[in-house]
Amino acid sequence: MEIILTPVVVSVISSLLALIIVVVDGVVNNYGEVEIDINNSKRKLKVKGGAPLLQTLSSQGIFVPSACGGRGSCGACKVKVLSDVGPHLPTELPYMSKDEIKENIRLSCQIKLKKDIKIYLPEELFNIRKFKGIVESLKDVTYDIKELRIRLVEPNEVNFKAGQYMQLVVPPYENIKEPTQRAYSISSSPSDKNHIELLIRLVPGGIATTYVHKYIKEGDVVEIVGPFGDFYMRDTNADMIMVAGGSGMAPIKSIIFDMWERGITNRNIWYFFGARSKRDLYYLELFRELEKKWSNFHFIPALSDQLPEDEWTGETGLITNVLDKYLQSVIPNENAKEGYLCGSPGMINACINVFDKHGVKDVYYDKFA
Amino acid sequence: MKMTPKFIRAQENMKPGKITADGFLGGDDRNIVDIIAADEEEFDYLGLDFVQVEKLLRKLMREGLKGLGESIRYDKWEIRIDEARGFLPCPFQDGIFRKRVATVKNLNNGAEIIYSELSIHLLAAHHFLQGKGAKFRLEPTMIKSVLYE
Amino acid sequence: MMYPNINPLVLFFASIFTSNILLTNFLGMCSFISISKDIKSSNGLGVAVTLVTTITTALNWLLEKYIIMPLDLGYLRYIIYIIVIAAVVQVLEMVIDRVSPNLYMVLGIFLPLITVNCAILGVALFMQLRNYSFIQSVFFGLGSGIGWWLAIVLLAAIRKKTDNAPVPAPLKGVGITLITIGIMAMAFIGFAGMINVQ
Repeated sequence: MEIILTPVVVSVISSLLALIIVVVDGVVNNYGEVEIDINNSKRKLKVKGGAPLLQTLSSQGIFVPSACGGRGSCGACKVKVLSDVGPHLPTELPYMSKDEIKENIRLSCQIKLKKDIKIYLPEELFNIRKFKGIVESLKDVTYDIKELRIRLVEPNEVNFKAGQYMQLVVPPYENIKEPTQRAYSISSSPSDKNHIELLIRLVPGGIATTYVHKYIKEGDVVEIVGPFGDFYMRDTNADMIMVAGGSGMAPIKSIIFDMWERGITNRNIWYFFGARSKRDLYYLELFRELEKKWSNFHFIPALSDQLPEDEWTGETGLITNVLDKYLQSVIPNENAKEGYLCGSPGMINACINVFDKHGVKDVYYDKFA
Repeated sequence: MKMTPKFIRAQENMKPGKITADGFLGGDDRNIVDIIAADEEEFDYLGLDFVQVEKLLRKLMREGLKGLGESIRYDKWEIRIDEARGFLPCPFQDGIFRKRVATVKNLNNGAEIIYSELSIHLLAAHHFLQGKGAKFRLEPTMIKSVLYE
Repeated sequence: MMYPNINPLVLFFASIFTSNILLTNFLGMCSFISISKDIKSSNGLGVAVTLVTTITTALNWLLEKYIIMPLDLGYLRYIIYIIVIAAVVQVLEMVIDRVSPNLYMVLGIFLPLITVNCAILGVALFMQLRNYSFIQSVFFGLGSGIGWWLAIVLLAAIRKKTDNAPVPAPLKGVGITLITIGIMAMAFIGFAGMINVQ
């Protein structure tokens, strides 16, 4: 008798208690409906509470930039919150300046919606969409850079400024269990409204670049979100001094070809393409052809570590040194100049120093680096 | 070994696919509290000091940056820095770090270590050198060979 | 089945002062020592322990009277008491997370650790051992919880004051804390004789 009674009693008691836990969980973790008030009631959303602000907004078609897909590792999803959502969490503090903390700027991926909230979003954000597209081609342009060309299906048209970037959605694969997003600059020109072209360099161990280099095939369906970013051509008459190497060429190529297509050819453009050796160079013919047709456009590729078999006759040395040399003695002094940079933080800082030395103060660069 | 929620969360974040594709644990199946304790012991045994090692690793990275992606020669080392765009968060959720990787080779004995800005932070703030088999593990004996021989 | 002849209110005050579960019976030390570093979290934990103790003592009394005794399952007593305590702590965790995520993060691992806090199991077992009635059990549980709460807040306050005192290095931290607890226990002995329940 005991042998049956014991497990029965223990199981019944445990099950009853488990039931109570489940019920309490349902009540306590159910935040009900909350209202998001955007830009002082310009737009009001009624949504289901409990999820982070970032995800909730994106499920409603409003895309706050995020380079890490909401994991709290990029600091790009900052939103100004006008109502009280509690003190800053320890996960938000590393990304906030003192001023931002005072103005209650928060990381929208860390704020859980537990009650009605009032926020402020800049106007440009409402232009951002999530696109479904098909991989039209995946070409190797160098040994570690691939050109990914996507034909947009739904919506099938995109409007962006040359120089902006898109966020590619990387679905789960292998032992990566959750989808994530990574930002890549657009290398195609805005005139091609139905396509998005990205240049992606393989980073060893990188979640997104491994996916692109090893798993994507032509014909695959992909999702991208955008456009984002405030790196684009400034509408002045100043000379444009552009420096970018590797996959950093993407926004520069987009800007240059956009200007050519729209007939904005009166400005002088100097594009310095820095690379180590010949195998890092690509699109050389493309730019050299453009140089022949467009007298104000100058293309200067430079190798810093060439191999003997490269038989390179062009400029050599670190790109910052080449830039310095040209600013010193080749580029005419009369005109105002603007700098456009895309590359690693180290290169950008070094170039800013060179620009500063030559009195070029207006320098623009791709900030998500 | 009992792990507080902070360490449990950190260990979760170190699994492959969370922050980096390969994760920070390699093939090691110990939990991170044990890994840290074992490495602290080894540091002690080899006479290494976490603060001194951190200072030197940072200095070498600073010198290496001057090469802008090229190898440079500094003192008895050859250093090269590679950078990628974006940031990596620390698994302990106490900071984000640039994806900056230094490859440092000791020219006297040929020993080489690879570390990132995040590795330096993990070493200094958490005494965590990553699991055995992880690509960016800083083996104490290698640290000693490269930095101090 | 005669319940001891003690007025529940007397029992209530006794369990706070003269039979303080912590300072007289020395149960529930683990989180006592660790959380008493900070007054605010001590307060929070004290409330949590009081709630858990009261609810579980009542629940366990019901289970004891209607299931364990009639079915003669004395050997299952420990298991059943612990299961009840674990479930109640789980529910409390969820409620705290909802009501005050800050407190939830501060208490950290010590919230689930309430489950194995021997003070709570101790109170339940004392209740069974001394054969209290339902009302007596509730007051006993409530009083013991409050007594634990009182003790941890007192210790937190004392630790705050002695934080900057020149304690000899080997005794810093846990060492001096244990000595302090010992002295507090001796102070509470002063209440003895007022009411005697054990």
